[in-house]
Amino acid sequence: MKFDLTILAPHVPFLLKGALLTAEACALALVGSLIIGLLVAALRTSSSPILSRAAFIYVDLFRNIPFIVQLFFFFYGLPEIGIYIDAFTTGVIALSIAGGAFSSDVIRSGILAIDTGILEAAEVSGLSKPVIFRKIVMPIALRTSVRPLGSVFINLVLTSSILSTITLNELTGSAKIVASDTFRPFEVYAVLLIVYASLTYLISLAIGSLHRRLNRDRMPDVA
Amino acid sequence: MMRYTSFTSYDFILLAQGLGVSLALFAVTTLIGLLIGTTWAIVRFYRVPVLTPLITFFAELLKNSPVLVQLFLVFFGLPALAKINVTPVEAAVITLSGNTAAFIYVIAVSAIESIGRDQIESARVFGLTRWQVLRHVVAPQAMAFAVGPLTGLLVNQLQVTSLISVIGVVDLTKIGNILNLRTLKPFIVWTIVGGLYYVTAKLIALGGARLEKRLRAHTAWKGL
Repeated sequence: MKFDLTILAPHVPFLLKGALLTAEACALALVGSLIIGLLVAALRTSSSPILSRAAFIYVDLFRNIPFIVQLFFFFYGLPEIGIYIDAFTTGVIALSIAGGAFSSDVIRSGILAIDTGILEAAEVSGLSKPVIFRKIVMPIALRTSVRPLGSVFINLVLTSSILSTITLNELTGSAKIVASDTFRPFEVYAVLLIVYASLTYLISLAIGSLHRRLNRDRMPDVA
Repeated sequence: MMRYTSFTSYDFILLAQGLGVSLALFAVTTLIGLLIGTTWAIVRFYRVPVLTPLITFFAELLKNSPVLVQLFLVFFGLPALAKINVTPVEAAVITLSGNTAAFIYVIAVSAIESIGRDQIESARVFGLTRWQVLRHVVAPQAMAFAVGPLTGLLVNQLQVTSLISVIGVVDLTKIGNILNLRTLKPFIVWTIVGGLYYVTAKLIALGGARLEKRLRAHTAWKGL
């Protein structure tokens, strides 16, 4: 059989619908993992040994267990305890929790890199701990970790393909359907591979320029 | 047909078998990946024209696309295109080896680049061939540099092996699927499966840390 891409043309709108679902899931999971990541990073860097220990256990567990196992745990487990949510929501939750573990590590090192002089100055100015975290620590840590957070996000996009295993027809799930409809799996998956690679490449370019913009006033080695 | 819904002692054997398949494929694909990845890095070290940019492009493509799609391309795509038979295990070995190779290539390249040009140049001035430089000057130091990132990569690649369950390889995750369908106790099943992966990942990390300590022993602070 020869390599023929034209047979894919009629299926492009269907694949685009899948891509849109991937984009939605990733955007929601990005927000979710940033929120979780910030929270967990705050706990890990807190002065309470119990809280930082608990946060460490969460990160350690979710970083060392395959995502597909986590996904099945939620997908098959949640209905067991009476929580009935659709595959999309389950996928976004699982992605957010796994992504949160990775982002918290990045944000934590962003927090630890903050000059202690800044924190001491804030403390003697009489600012309360929550205010210091929200107004000083968080903006600095987030700003300096845009680039590493970007690689976490790219990983999230690649990982989102696994959502196809829980009946969700995102980009990879739609491609599976097209592959079995057209009997042209090689063309379909080869194109899909290129699409994902170009997508993540574009994202990394965008993140690079965002990082430089946000850190333009800082030393050249950070920006 | 009767349904055996509760757990039996035989399930331990099933889980052990699944873990065995996962570990075997992990070990085999790591070795092949190491071989291919370092070969690519050596090609780059010799600055072979045409091949070097080709390898870089291919490695980037593998690093920046989902392993699941790569797996589908090999398992469903190759047979359709080339009219050859690819078993699930073969597809798993090809895909995981290639994916691991791409990441090892990147680590090996940065490990080689971590060694100062002055060292390589002075070794060349002493009359060592490019191969001797690689063998006696670059390799030992690059290895010590690479063990850390390599350990992180292997912990990650162990988790990636779980995806081969999707194309029907009966690894630990697939056993989890089977037990999940039979017992209808998802929390217990996936906690056990996740726990087994976790412990294995921790053992790999521990082994890597030990090896790193040994390889770096010659530069360690010995006290005055």
